[in-house]
Amino acid sequence: MSQNIKILPGATVCEDCTLEGDITIGGGTVIHPRVTIIAEGGPIIIAEYCIIEEYATIIHKKAEKAETQETPPKPLFIGAHNVFEVACKLESSFGHIGESNVFECRSFVGVDVKIGSGCVIGAACQLTVPQTLADNTVIWGSEHHNREALEKQPTQLLQLDFLSKVMPNYHRLRKPNMHKRLPSRPSQDTAK
Amino acid sequence: MLKRQASGNKVSRQTVLCGSQNIVLHGKVIVQSEAIIRGDLANVKTGRFCIISKGSVIRPPFKKFSKGVAFFPLQMGDHVFIGENTVVNAAVVGSYVYIGKNVVIGRRCVLKDCCMIEDNSVLPAETIVPSFARYSGNPAKLITTLPEATPDLMTEFTKSYYQHFLPTTVS
Repeated sequence: MSQNIKILPGATVCEDCTLEGDITIGGGTVIHPRVTIIAEGGPIIIAEYCIIEEYATIIHKKAEKAETQETPPKPLFIGAHNVFEVACKLESSFGHIGESNVFECRSFVGVDVKIGSGCVIGAACQLTVPQTLADNTVIWGSEHHNREALEKQPTQLLQLDFLSKVMPNYHRLRKPNMHKRLPSRPSQDTAK
Repeated sequence: MLKRQASGNKVSRQTVLCGSQNIVLHGKVIVQSEAIIRGDLANVKTGRFCIISKGSVIRPPFKKFSKGVAFFPLQMGDHVFIGENTVVNAAVVGSYVYIGKNVVIGRRCVLKDCCMIEDNSVLPAETIVPSFARYSGNPAKLITTLPEATPDLMTEFTKSYYQHFLPTTVS
């Protein structure tokens, strides 16, 4: 597995986390300790201003039918302003996750779930069946009630500011190793 | 493998204590492996005879204000049990509190003395759990009350847990 981790300037990435495969982390994103990001089925691109908290797991799974080796493998693109709370798990082989989503504590999003923008996956909710979440869907409770949010999720810029100020005082961080801004849309992303 | 301190705290070496200068464990506290205590965000204080089980995350809550955010200090009383893989984002946890495993305690919850949160519950943000209440479900609701002897039961439970606790040595 190729180790190709690109951290753009302005990102705060703790050293104590597992990053495997081809991963791009956008500027302003904060990755807390003990995060696992595994790009086994293709590259993972995380856009700007995401928060990924402890024990969160993001896996880009290999496609089930891997006989026809797609070249190049499709990247998993995670939009800006997403929040992955403590111990949430995202397994996806889909190309795109929108912006301003909140994956709450201990939530699970399985393979073949398409997620729009502004969605909230409530605490301990498990999405395992292939489905598409429209924009602004909120899912909560043990019975997985869902409704449409009236407004978009507020951005966490203030929290990000605080975290990026405080975290370097307490944690060893991975140094940014890219200096050029990459385009943040997958369509413009050059195939690797 | 354990670090044993003069205060009687037993802290596994596999824990992640961020900002340890902001964490106060008041003595005879057990912190088991893979637990995370985020002292870097705000102060975390626990009382005596607290048990923080494997894989749990103790994390001070944040609140947004008109200008900037603030992380609130997290206070925990004496004789508190926190089960495995539980996430605690509470502002205050009283004394004699039992929190089961796989529980999510939302942001800025207040757990009063002598309450119980059952396994796999999810307490929504800013919930206030009264004394002698027993909460369960997702979202967690009051199901029954606890007996009057809860303080004694929890004292006995945490003390005997501490006394009988044998750390596993990883080869």
